[in-house]
Amino acid sequence: MPVPTIADPPQPASAKPQGQPSQKSMTKAERRELQERQRAAKAALKGQPQQQGKKDPSQGKQQPSVGGTPGAQTKTKPPPTPQKKAFGGDIQGARQASASKDTGTGVIAEDAMAKQVSHGLRIFSHFGQPKPVSHTVKGDIHPEIIRLALLFSEFKISGANARCIAMLTAFKQVIQDYTTPSHNTLSRHLMTHLSPQITHLVSARPMSVTMGNAIRELKVEISNMDIDMVEQDAKDALCLKIDNYIRDRIIIADEVIEENAGNKIKDGDVILTYAKSSVVEKVLLAAHSERKKISVIIIDSKPLLEGKVLLKSLTSGPSPIPCTYALLPALPSLLNQVSMVLVGAHALFSNGAVYSRAGTAMVSMMAKARNVPVLVCCETYKFSDGVMVDGFSKNELAPTTVIQKYTHLENLPSSIEKLNPLYDLTPPTYITAVVTEVGLIPPSSISSIPLALGKTSL
Amino acid sequence: MSSFDICPAFARILQNREVSPPLAAILALTELIRHEDAGTMFELVQAVEEGAAALKKHASNPISVDAGCSLFIAFVTLFPHDSANFSDLKKELIRQGQVYAAEALAYRQKIAELAFGFIKDGSILTHSYSRVVMQALLLAHKRKRISVFVTEARPRGLGIKTAEALTAAGVPATVILDSAVAYVMDKVDFVLVGSEAVVESGGLVNAVGSNQIAIIARAANKPFYALAESYKFHRLFPLSQYDLPSHNSKILSFPRPLLADRRPPNQSSSSTESTAPTSDQPDLIPPRITQEQISQNNPDVDYTRPDLITLVFSDVGSLTPEGVSQYLVGMFAG
Repeated sequence: MPVPTIADPPQPASAKPQGQPSQKSMTKAERRELQERQRAAKAALKGQPQQQGKKDPSQGKQQPSVGGTPGAQTKTKPPPTPQKKAFGGDIQGARQASASKDTGTGVIAEDAMAKQVSHGLRIFSHFGQPKPVSHTVKGDIHPEIIRLALLFSEFKISGANARCIAMLTAFKQVIQDYTTPSHNTLSRHLMTHLSPQITHLVSARPMSVTMGNAIRELKVEISNMDIDMVEQDAKDALCLKIDNYIRDRIIIADEVIEENAGNKIKDGDVILTYAKSSVVEKVLLAAHSERKKISVIIIDSKPLLEGKVLLKSLTSGPSPIPCTYALLPALPSLLNQVSMVLVGAHALFSNGAVYSRAGTAMVSMMAKARNVPVLVCCETYKFSDGVMVDGFSKNELAPTTVIQKYTHLENLPSSIEKLNPLYDLTPPTYITAVVTEVGLIPPSSISSIPLALGKTSL
Repeated sequence: MSSFDICPAFARILQNREVSPPLAAILALTELIRHEDAGTMFELVQAVEEGAAALKKHASNPISVDAGCSLFIAFVTLFPHDSANFSDLKKELIRQGQVYAAEALAYRQKIAELAFGFIKDGSILTHSYSRVVMQALLLAHKRKRISVFVTEARPRGLGIKTAEALTAAGVPATVILDSAVAYVMDKVDFVLVGSEAVVESGGLVNAVGSNQIAIIARAANKPFYALAESYKFHRLFPLSQYDLPSHNSKILSFPRPLLADRRPPNQSSSSTESTAPTSDQPDLIPPRITQEQISQNNPDVDYTRPDLITLVFSDVGSLTPEGVSQYLVGMFAG
């Protein structure tokens, strides 16, 4: 497990073993033991390299300049000048930093670079630069969450469903390892314990709508917990609730969507999809396993090229689905043989707009122009009660480290700003229907779904 | 299981000219419940579903029958069955079904009154024959000066029935060819059609030809109104014409090429089945295609996209297509 080590002096809070009761509830002996351990840790640190002294003030300022980061000084050869405006040099430094295998230092240098670049982006600066997870863990963060944050920030887990499931599973662990402090109750205190965990996850990558919805649900469940319940029982009950949420709103929902979308797939259909969605993948595989004769066109695009993963999963296995893989520019010439476009979604807004992987809007628009039906597969827990009218007001930028993993943007002049929004917004007019677990719904009626399900919130 | 056969009952109920297929389906299902000796709710629902499936198989227009059946099945399954006695529950279900059907007969009057507000002195284009459109037109005729163009509506030619009925009532009506819709469009104020079913997208399933009328109306910027009783609202989402449940491989299929027997005799023996006249003079005598053959090859209903429809008048109000889909989602998704 990649638990952060080098960069920071272990603060008392983070040095404390996770899940340990707070100091108040410890016995005297335990407290002394803890103190001893902390003292020992401090002494050990003193013995380490001498940048320690330099490091602390930079942390206090909350603005780690590139030069100030100890890792960058020790591990990379030329320490990039901190104040210079020409960020070409910084990129150079950052690239070298990331090239050096030490991820910790690379990430910190990257962080600084991201800050510089965000000044460079003139019109999209509000997107907020992706900041790789800082290894300075503030407060009482569960190791499971720290691990998850790293996975999120490195895009090892990137799908909306996957992220939500991973987060909820981690929360189960956090809840199990939690003990209510004395003079407090679980229903009132647990959320204050979870909030810093959530903050840490969000610092790794902006929260997805799915995670937000799940957290809101969890909050309600926690506050509804009976005060008189035995603590372990309450924890088990919460974990069960989480399991049920994952099962009902994601796993079963996907199965129903599989069936609903499968009903629309007929023999001989050519289905076009964009990038990769876990639901679409399941739908296609299910249709194929029902011995429907389908073929699939996967349209993909830089920078993430997620379609390759889908291509692999559709064509591997004993009976591969006939697939065509093409990049976005080839879309117009492929569209005339397509009978249906099937895409996934990151979130769905109440005006019927679909927030999905950048490029989806283009595919749907073109399909609409050719009278090809566009189906969006989306579970109802991805619905957001907000309204979004374009993809510029809110978006997320792909971090440079991730981009470089998939595409090689070497030899780009430093004067070029790189903009890689992760998402775009497909207006409802380009969508024929949204396939949900409650049926096929035209995008114009999305807003009536929560009411129909008898919910005031999603 | 009882020996009750639902199809004759359905046919008998349909003899009443006021009763439309979805209502007849509901009534037939209530009769099925009466004859059913099911002892539990589960058995009853199962029997009703079997009956509905049998009806769909035999009905000439399965989409509207299906709309009525699914409405009734939803009603039966969601009916609060806390009564201690199961036979009481059955009686209550039957009573409710019949009450609904009786009430539903009054829906057309309500729709006609709703549509009346939109009818001005002038010309109206309608398609085929629809009871609810007839009622709306006859109501409008009492107070306004309207004239009606009605399409012939091949292959069943029901437009002639409409024109005759309207003329008998004193409404100036004339039959136009299905292919003359674009010709007449500039002369009419709006288009008024009935419906077989209103689907979840807000679109319309109706006698074939409605779609092209809607397209022409849109091109000519004329309003396209549909009239539909709420029992015709159907939880179905056709993505295209070929996604309708009524579509089958026979529709739009190509007949065996009649010139096949011009092939050299040594090639195949399949030409022996072909009729004698074509084998004599294949080039001169045009292939005989009967009206029956044409209608076999053609669809009975088509699907009109929601964006071509201006308003849907129903007993739950005048709805935009979006409103229809929201109503349907609310009705069934809950």
